Amino acid sequence: MKAGIIVFPGTNCDIDTKRACEHFGWQAEYLWHDETCLDKYDVIFLPGGFSYGDYIRAGRLAKFSPAVMALNDYIERKNGFVIGICNGFQVLCERKLLPGILSMNDSTKFICDIVPLKVSIDSHPEDICLPVAHAEGRYIASPETLKEIEDNGMVFLRYKDNPNGSVNDIAGLYDRDNRIIGLMPHPERAIFKETGLEDGKYFFKMFENALNN
Amino acid sequence: MKYKAEVVVTLKDGIRDPQGTAIDTVLKRTSMEEDSEVRVGKYFNLFVNADNDEKANDKLHKICEEVLSNPILESYRIERFEKS
Repeated sequence: MKAGIIVFPGTNCDIDTKRACEHFGWQAEYLWHDETCLDKYDVIFLPGGFSYGDYIRAGRLAKFSPAVMALNDYIERKNGFVIGICNGFQVLCERKLLPGILSMNDSTKFICDIVPLKVSIDSHPEDICLPVAHAEGRYIASPETLKEIEDNGMVFLRYKDNPNGSVNDIAGLYDRDNRIIGLMPHPERAIFKETGLEDGKYFFKMFENALNN
Repeated sequence: MKYKAEVVVTLKDGIRDPQGTAIDTVLKRTSMEEDSEVRVGKYFNLFVNADNDEKANDKLHKICEEVLSNPILESYRIERFEKS
């Protein structure tokens, strides 16, 4: 398994993501956001942090970077997988690769915490805890889009104690083809015992299964 | 030709605006305005180059729709648009 990790000016979770991938025996490489040749990767990560200073809004300018512009082709032609974590999720929504949008937290505060979550994949719900660190994490979508998301079972991760005002407690969702994954919490920061939390392993294992099937 | 534009982007009606609410709270707490309703937006001052008015208008709307705002969340208003 080979992962490409896109690095924007301001990305700060690229090293965590690479170490998490390597922990599971995946190969992982950094890709500067100018890169357009994504074909040699089984999965592309858009890691957390910031991109272009998050000017205008988080993810707004990054959606025009060559690597992000190349994602549609990568998904369609190579059948590739894309995972956006935190700022990466914001970029995917701005690029309209995932429905809805992330808006400012209800509290107006930057939230840096460990939050309880419910993962639901293949009707096997599990309770986990993951770190969150965001100012614009309130997921919103039009009522029609929300209905489509829920009717098609696209939500795989919900907050148990909603920290940011996200509609339907949504913390993470797939696209309809299960090829594009976006989530606000940081599984890559909860892999190693030293960080005090290892529930992120659940997410990487789940993803490995999805890739192998 | 060079055109000068001023654009204001605001959250759509019905989208909660936590920044606006925070400012509202301050206005009420300081008794500057008891009945305030604040919505926060962004102001952009930009120039576009185009051969004629129509092309300049099309270009500006494309910039507003794709870069300055996101139609899920925000609407934009062109406050001023003229040859520079």
